[in-house]
Amino acid sequence: MMSLAQPAYFLLGHEAPDFALRAVAGSNVRLSEHRGDVVVLSFWSSRCSPCRAQLAALDKSLATYRSAGLQMYGINVDDDQTRAIEFAHGGQAVTFALLLDPQKEVSRRYQVDNLPMTLLIDRNGIVRYVLRDYSAKSDDQYLRQLRTLLNE
Amino acid sequence: MACGLAVAVLGLSSGANPAFAQKTAPGANATTASPPAAAASGSPAGDAAASPPGGEAAAETPAPDTRGLDQEVQGLKKDVVDLNRDLFVLEEELLFPANTQVAVFLSMDVGDFFALDSVQLKIDQKEVINYLYTPREVEALLRGGVHRLYLGNLKVGKHELVAFFSGKGPNDRDYKRGASLTFEKGIGAKYLELKINDRQRKQQPEFEIKDWE
Repeated sequence: MMSLAQPAYFLLGHEAPDFALRAVAGSNVRLSEHRGDVVVLSFWSSRCSPCRAQLAALDKSLATYRSAGLQMYGINVDDDQTRAIEFAHGGQAVTFALLLDPQKEVSRRYQVDNLPMTLLIDRNGIVRYVLRDYSAKSDDQYLRQLRTLLNE
Repeated sequence: MACGLAVAVLGLSSGANPAFAQKTAPGANATTASPPAAAASGSPAGDAAASPPGGEAAAETPAPDTRGLDQEVQGLKKDVVDLNRDLFVLEEELLFPANTQVAVFLSMDVGDFFALDSVQLKIDQKEVINYLYTPREVEALLRGGVHRLYLGNLKVGKHELVAFFSGKGPNDRDYKRGASLTFEKGIGAKYLELKINDRQRKQQPEFEIKDWE
């Protein structure tokens, strides 16, 4: 449960730090190559059940808004990468790329303090919204924020 | 009363900008339903009667000329870009002075036998960079691009550079190869190039490190 006293996320309104990560399946991904698209980054762990529920919800939104210039990546922060790989190839698999961050360099750079944590990055590469929790309510909020960015 | 006051205020504001007033005058609406245009013309009744009749002309109220402002914004943008470039050059000169600078570049030729995934670079047994390449970057390299993989500082003397190349080799198999070079760093910048070529005779990729004298 997110505390009301939680401080504002330090990257809000700032340029999202660039990174390149390996994908569970497919080619490597570099964030800066997606300038001009709205990018959703979701930090997740295979041990966290809200993370898996959120990935499924994000996948639905990607199916709807992909043609409007939406890119989506799930960044796995598990110590044991095999669990992420199993998830990616399992029945709950999502259509967007799941990236591996074995050294947790990217997670540290983004100061991930809660899972799942979702960032919405605008077409100029600026972090505009962050969701540090997942619930049906946050899902509605996410869709509103996503539409705002896609309409810009 | 309130309407009259509004017209007076608008008349004052447009009067402060003669250029705007001149621009708006020809298209002034024949009706009095357009207070800004009427006020801008300076003579609410007489000019309105003299202006060309027709509803379409009335609808096409000319927009204020923003070309000058646009040019000013473009000029400012150019200044920012120039300043950014100068700062970048200054930063590089300060952080990597010419007498200690070492730069490592990567180039690729053909690439039929090797699909590049990543390059790990070690100088004097210390990892200095581990770079992941995306398909777009590889495509750029195959089109003749050269990537500056590393820029750093080294003192004068003998040094060893080791590069590990990972990717997919012939028959789509995981492929990892290394190449090394011992080089002498003198006074002045040092440029090294990692080259990935196809060796047709062996049907294998070839990795070499070239020292740019």
